[in-house]
Amino acid sequence: MAIHKIFFASLLICLLFQISHGATKERLFSDLEKGALEVTATPSREGVLDAGIDKLSITWKLSSTATKEAEFTTIKVKLCYAPVSQVDRPWRKTENELFKDKSCPHKIITRPYDKSPQSFEYTLERDIPTGTYFVRAYAVDAKGHEVAFGQSTDEAKSTKLFSVQAISGRHKSLDIASVCFSVFSVLALLVFFVNEKRKAKIEQSK
Amino acid sequence: MPQTFETHDRTAEPEDIFHSDTDLLETIAAHHDVSDQVQAPKQLSPSHSSETGDTGSSMHGVSTKTTGKYDLPVDLEDKATVFKILSVAKPHMRTFHLSWISFSTCFVSTFAAAPLVPIIRENLNLTKQDIGNAGVASVSGSIFSRLVMGAVCDILGPRYGCAFLVMLSAPTVFSMSFVGGAAGFITVRFMIGFCLATFVSCQYWMSTMFTSNIIGLVNGTAAGWGNMGGGITQLLMPVVYEIIRRCGATAFTAWRIAFFVPGWLHIIMGILVLTLGQDLPGGNRKDMEIRGKVVKDKLGKIMWCAVTNYRTWIFVLLYGYSMGVELSTDNVIAEYFFDRFHLKLHTAGIIAASFGMANFFARPAGGYASDMAAKYFGMRGRLWALWIIQTAGGIFCVWLGRANTLVTAVVAMILFSLGAQAACGATFAIVPFISRRSLGIISGLTGAGGNFGSGLTQLIFFSTSRFTTEQGLTWMGVMIIACTLPVTLCRFPQWGSMFLPPSTVTAEQYYVSEWSEEEKQNNMHLGSLAFAKSAESEGGRRAHSTVIV
Repeated sequence: MAIHKIFFASLLICLLFQISHGATKERLFSDLEKGALEVTATPSREGVLDAGIDKLSITWKLSSTATKEAEFTTIKVKLCYAPVSQVDRPWRKTENELFKDKSCPHKIITRPYDKSPQSFEYTLERDIPTGTYFVRAYAVDAKGHEVAFGQSTDEAKSTKLFSVQAISGRHKSLDIASVCFSVFSVLALLVFFVNEKRKAKIEQSK
Repeated sequence: MPQTFETHDRTAEPEDIFHSDTDLLETIAAHHDVSDQVQAPKQLSPSHSSETGDTGSSMHGVSTKTTGKYDLPVDLEDKATVFKILSVAKPHMRTFHLSWISFSTCFVSTFAAAPLVPIIRENLNLTKQDIGNAGVASVSGSIFSRLVMGAVCDILGPRYGCAFLVMLSAPTVFSMSFVGGAAGFITVRFMIGFCLATFVSCQYWMSTMFTSNIIGLVNGTAAGWGNMGGGITQLLMPVVYEIIRRCGATAFTAWRIAFFVPGWLHIIMGILVLTLGQDLPGGNRKDMEIRGKVVKDKLGKIMWCAVTNYRTWIFVLLYGYSMGVELSTDNVIAEYFFDRFHLKLHTAGIIAASFGMANFFARPAGGYASDMAAKYFGMRGRLWALWIIQTAGGIFCVWLGRANTLVTAVVAMILFSLGAQAACGATFAIVPFISRRSLGIISGLTGAGGNFGSGLTQLIFFSTSRFTTEQGLTWMGVMIIACTLPVTLCRFPQWGSMFLPPSTVTAEQYYVSEWSEEEKQNNMHLGSLAFAKSAESEGGRRAHSTVIV
């Protein structure tokens, strides 16, 4: 019974933790100020970009329509999935609750807020998956909460998108090692088998 | 029919299985009391190879070796009568450890992709359907290979069966490094999945090494510890991946290198099985071929007996929703925790691992619970125990799908794992009683049913965008509860069912009815007869009639 009491008590404590945690989770994307920053993202070349090689030229500046400028402390620039790359992939889903939203998982750069126009030359990381993207910049206040954003595409996320082709992750050395070990496995088995059959024949003939 | 039976029992022929009622009672007592095994060996004669009720009846070598040779006490066929878990004594316990570890290795490699899916899906640009289909593929291959493995064990012996499968599937594990897209991923997971047939070689091998009175516990432990591999892999692969990444590899290369670890395990275990293992307590299969008679049954007849017994199909369905859901969960749970609760990959792995690791005690516990229920209520107790345990697992699965916080999800998952895995143990505590003649095939069919259930569940609930993973888990729980109901229909005429009492049919009549008159003339049914006698205790505490007049 003592075990049951301890178990139940720890469960209760954990549940209380969860309830208290709930307060900060209600921040919504729809509450953020749209278009507070004007963001542009220009690929270094035409066509599908290669991860790990090609670059994006990203610029952002304060928009004339912004109202919450006083709160801006940091700017977080992220790479986000366009709707076409979210189809059939629920782990990239757009959610209104900010902590649940998974449509912008790739961090590009974080900089303290500066009134003057900013730019950054971003080389696509080697772990960026194949897909279609745009760039979004979140303006974050001193508490670490997002207050406004701007993105390189329109509200419907249909214009000025760019495509990236991921690295394959394959290497010749890996392929060769793989073949070597596979061959070793099959050969070792055959050698054992043939050897034992031979020993059995020798013994039987004795 | 009682007439024939009487002739066998009363006249003092050398082929008598039981010379007196005392022997009979001793054997029944010994069935439930392992410590008495050394004093109560069965009176066996060399020509009746299937008297002890073994699955490996074609493997019997006539052993004339003295019992002083082995570390463990043995019966007349040199099979161990005691199960010493911590020993590695040659040959019995060594075989046990080689067997469960190689089975576990196959589980590790079959489910190795599951905890790494969050990385793999980005590298290969997979959709939810692709991931689901790969999961289905990973369990489908062994439906076929498990059925074939029984025949392979008969022809080559379990040692070669195991070693062949493990070493020939090593290349499939290594070929993950070549995969470039969804098609390749699905194909490789399908090919790796074939190695789950080591379940059959494992159980077969145990039955050549351990006497039938403890074979339930031994097989349950071997199967449970083997299934643990599905949990070990959820811990192992993310850790290996992290280490490789920290050594400087990019994410999309690191996961490929990580697959070398299960590949090497295959090679190592294959070599160990070949060098340290042996088919029989007395030696290898070639010994057996030189001496001893073998009572071989016709494959067609055995299959017919298995397929026409409706209980076989009830248990195929049931196992599909205990083992099947366990396999499905092995495939989806790490990704589920990673995505839904925003955990790091290795944290999700630790949680997912605890699901599979619960097998260490849950599956043997299920078998033990069934044995306890049988002690008081006989077979009816076993059926009730199975229904209760499996339905409870289903309820916890529904709870898991509906859990919104991490803590409740983990608690629900652990309870679900205990329910599902204990149900697996409880299922195989009943399967040996469905038929004596076709035990091997029914075990194989049930095992294959587990994989089929897994493939079906993953296809319906986890491969489409129609259900989110949490909805899929909820509906899977509902399906478990629904598909466990058929156990209420399972009736053993000699022992009853969950709701109906036994009829006047006896155990002997039930098991001997599988043989035709002609076969009985040839004394092929004697094994079934002996088994029926030892199964008298399934009548529950009331059962005291031991001799049929």
